[in-house]
Amino acid sequence: MQLAFFYFFSGLSILSALFVIFFRNTLSAAIALVVTLFGVACLFGLLEAHFLAAMQVLVYAGAVMVLFLFVIMLMNLGREELLKIKLAFLGIIGVITGVCLAILLVTRFMGLSAPLLSLDLGVEYGTVKSVGKLLFGEYLIPFELTSILLLVAIIGAITLARKPQS
Amino acid sequence: MKQDLIYFLPELIVSITVLFLFLLDCFIGKRSRRIFPVIAFIGIAAMMLANKSSSPLPSARFFSDMMVFDHVSVLFKYIFGLAGLIAIVIANGSHELEKVDKANYFTLLTALVLGMMLLANAHHFLMIYLSLEMVSLLSYILTGSLQGSRRSSEASLKYVIYGGVASGIMAYGISILYGLTGSMTLTGVAEFLRMNAVSKTALYTSVLMIMAGFGFKVASVPFHMWCPDVYEGAPTPFTAFLSVGPKAAGFAVLLRFFFGALSQTTTSGIEPIKIIGLPALLGGLSIATMTLGNLAALQQKSMKRLLAYSSIAHAGYMLLALVALNAEAVTGVIFYLSVYLLMNLGAFLVLIIVGDQLGSEDISVFQGLSKRGPFAALLSIVMTVFMFSLTGIPPMAGFIGKFYLFGSVIKSGHYTLAVIGMLNSVVSLYYYIRVVKIMYFDEPVDGRNLTTPMVSHASTVFALALLTIYLGLFWNGLANIVGQAKLF
Repeated sequence: MQLAFFYFFSGLSILSALFVIFFRNTLSAAIALVVTLFGVACLFGLLEAHFLAAMQVLVYAGAVMVLFLFVIMLMNLGREELLKIKLAFLGIIGVITGVCLAILLVTRFMGLSAPLLSLDLGVEYGTVKSVGKLLFGEYLIPFELTSILLLVAIIGAITLARKPQS
Repeated sequence: MKQDLIYFLPELIVSITVLFLFLLDCFIGKRSRRIFPVIAFIGIAAMMLANKSSSPLPSARFFSDMMVFDHVSVLFKYIFGLAGLIAIVIANGSHELEKVDKANYFTLLTALVLGMMLLANAHHFLMIYLSLEMVSLLSYILTGSLQGSRRSSEASLKYVIYGGVASGIMAYGISILYGLTGSMTLTGVAEFLRMNAVSKTALYTSVLMIMAGFGFKVASVPFHMWCPDVYEGAPTPFTAFLSVGPKAAGFAVLLRFFFGALSQTTTSGIEPIKIIGLPALLGGLSIATMTLGNLAALQQKSMKRLLAYSSIAHAGYMLLALVALNAEAVTGVIFYLSVYLLMNLGAFLVLIIVGDQLGSEDISVFQGLSKRGPFAALLSIVMTVFMFSLTGIPPMAGFIGKFYLFGSVIKSGHYTLAVIGMLNSVVSLYYYIRVVKIMYFDEPVDGRNLTTPMVSHASTVFALALLTIYLGLFWNGLANIVGQAKLF
């Protein structure tokens, strides 16, 4: 049963991820991205990581996507400015490489994930408490580094977007 | 925890400097912007002092295995600190950066030094990814810092797109490696690979994908495409830093990845994990990188593009040492990076001094440079030193650097690779010496004379030239320090 759900949700996210790339309309692409992120959230749920699943929906499918939609709205793209897909020579090479890579990964990883699924997870696994403990214990330094990274990114974005001083 | 903070002290000092500068920006008026480079300079200098006092400490891993402290990390912090200090001196007073907001420029530059330090000491893939992103993000921003300049914005956008793809591929590669080994730390991966057999193809694929991220940082083929455009579009003082700082950080993490995760130290030396053809992969990459860099540099008209392709070629030489995967390779790469820092920053500084006054960055601006007055004659000699050193002609430091690099390759028995590397140096002779030739044998296109630039620029460029010659004659001191450095 769990396996069926896994294939359903992973198929859903891969399919909608492809739609993100191939939709010409940026708005449709953004909506397809919501579906992808939702699919990933469901995968987290299947892995017993309920807190992460909820955060994935709240932060990515919710907040980040709303920002994306706002940006698309503000840019007010006309028909002629939309990306035209041209499957040029390099594009074909890219597709072939991608397909080869996918086949390779699928065939090579078939047997690998089995032991990970049967791990005995404690009662606390995936709860807010255990995630918080990890985040503020073992992973404290990456957590702090992320805050500096975001601060720097915000200030950088402001620097780039600001009108030149005369 | 207290012990951890002692290891972390240099990073801590730079972090505090960055945050202090951000805060200062909110309170200080337009008039006193001159204080920003001074504070950034003091912060980085203090970091180097703290780094010196931490150097006798034994190797350790800290913050629950997230980061590592060893002698290599101490040396890299010196390299980053020196690059940062020189970049601040160069940027301060450059005509090109006149309209750029100084407060932000110097703060972000200091933050970039912090990112590089974290990248060089990361032991956990999460830290590697985050600090790589930090270095990349700041590089994009600083590349595009020339507001209103179309070239600068275009370069920044190209950089973002390439960087986004490269780090996406790397993150995927890391996830595969984690799936294979169940470990996110470098030594944990090595431990698992030593004990267990894993699918060879899957491991090879993941290493290739991770190489995309690292290759992007050091500008190696096939992830070099951004390099000439970004170097040309970015403000020259930042290009100078970009060509040494982030590249050195990229090599630091490459060393850690290949020596930490994909090799094992035995009593007879360092042995790469047998199951993947690591030497063949790296050898191919390095030959392609240096050959492409050198051949493309031959026909450049812009000095910045020439130096960009030359920096690709130099990345190729250093990758060559990684093929050897022996203790000498670590020495070779770090020694070469320190020498490369001096000579490349020097060459860029000459370009900045000349370009600022004559208003062009083409190679033709060097025509008859030696005949443009007394200071120009002196500057031509200095430029000749840097060009000879970049080629690898004795008695310049570049020769000793190449000697150590090729020495490690020969010691590992890859004679063909060493010969290809030397042939490449011969090719590079053509375009470096051409600059020297037009400086001395061509006539200047107009009668303008070079005036003496700011004292800080002039003294830095002479100091760099003197150091380049000094290290070419008395390299033992530096070589001994670098030679004793141990990874992990």
